[in-house]
Amino acid sequence: MKVFSNEETFNYSWEEVSTANWRKYCPWNDKSTHVIAVDTLSRHVDPATGILRTERLITCKQSAPKWLASLMGGTDISQVFETSYVDPESKKVTMVSQNLTFANIINVRETVVYQPLSATKTQFKQDAQITALCGGWQKVKSAVEDATVSRFRENAIKGKEGFEAVLEMSRRVFSEEKMKQREQQEKMAL
Amino acid sequence: MSASLAPECNEVKERYDSCFLKWYSEKYLRGKGTTDECADLFKDYKQCLTSVLKKRGIDKMLEEAREDHKENDALNMRRK
Repeated sequence: MKVFSNEETFNYSWEEVSTANWRKYCPWNDKSTHVIAVDTLSRHVDPATGILRTERLITCKQSAPKWLASLMGGTDISQVFETSYVDPESKKVTMVSQNLTFANIINVRETVVYQPLSATKTQFKQDAQITALCGGWQKVKSAVEDATVSRFRENAIKGKEGFEAVLEMSRRVFSEEKMKQREQQEKMAL
Repeated sequence: MSASLAPECNEVKERYDSCFLKWYSEKYLRGKGTTDECADLFKDYKQCLTSVLKKRGIDKMLEEAREDHKENDALNMRRK
């Protein structure tokens, strides 16, 4: 098993980050282009705790190294199942995900947590456990795990850049909407 | 918003996603979001998606993954 961990700080409030997180993979993010679709499978608010629970299916298209691609049957489409929990009271978003595709070859479990550091700063924490399951040589397993870890590292850098772009656009659109509303209210008052 | 894995569901998905995002930011995060106002739109989207998942055999993989995720619920569905 290999582990990939990463931490980032975003200079936006937790409310802004947790909202923009729902559209992290929209066209404003021109970095994380390996994510081609995000579908919501179920969603509900727990009446006892107020926690919002969501299930999503994330579809990725990313070419693997040639030797790995042949092991994976030549397809470059893969899918990830994610369950997320938003606790608005303690201001915490937790997202747990695992791979659906290639589940017989490799097991990838990732946990992402967003929590506020201050009123204007939010921390992103990412942990992934990668375990190759393919029988046989330890060398092959190790190589499969290493290739997955380096893919995680590449995607993490792109993910941060792409999400920054989404946050910036979200803030701009929000302030424009507010301005429009104010103009309209002023017009009505006249 | 991001696309659906099924292009034929994109339109209903877009409508649902916009409704949800508005509810999430304007009501839910402000402690006023106990009822789901977007339920009807979600029903349309879900209906479109479910048949595609079945056709592509993804529904079976999802069942297994859901089983695996049950322990996460125990960990994250309670207030700390």
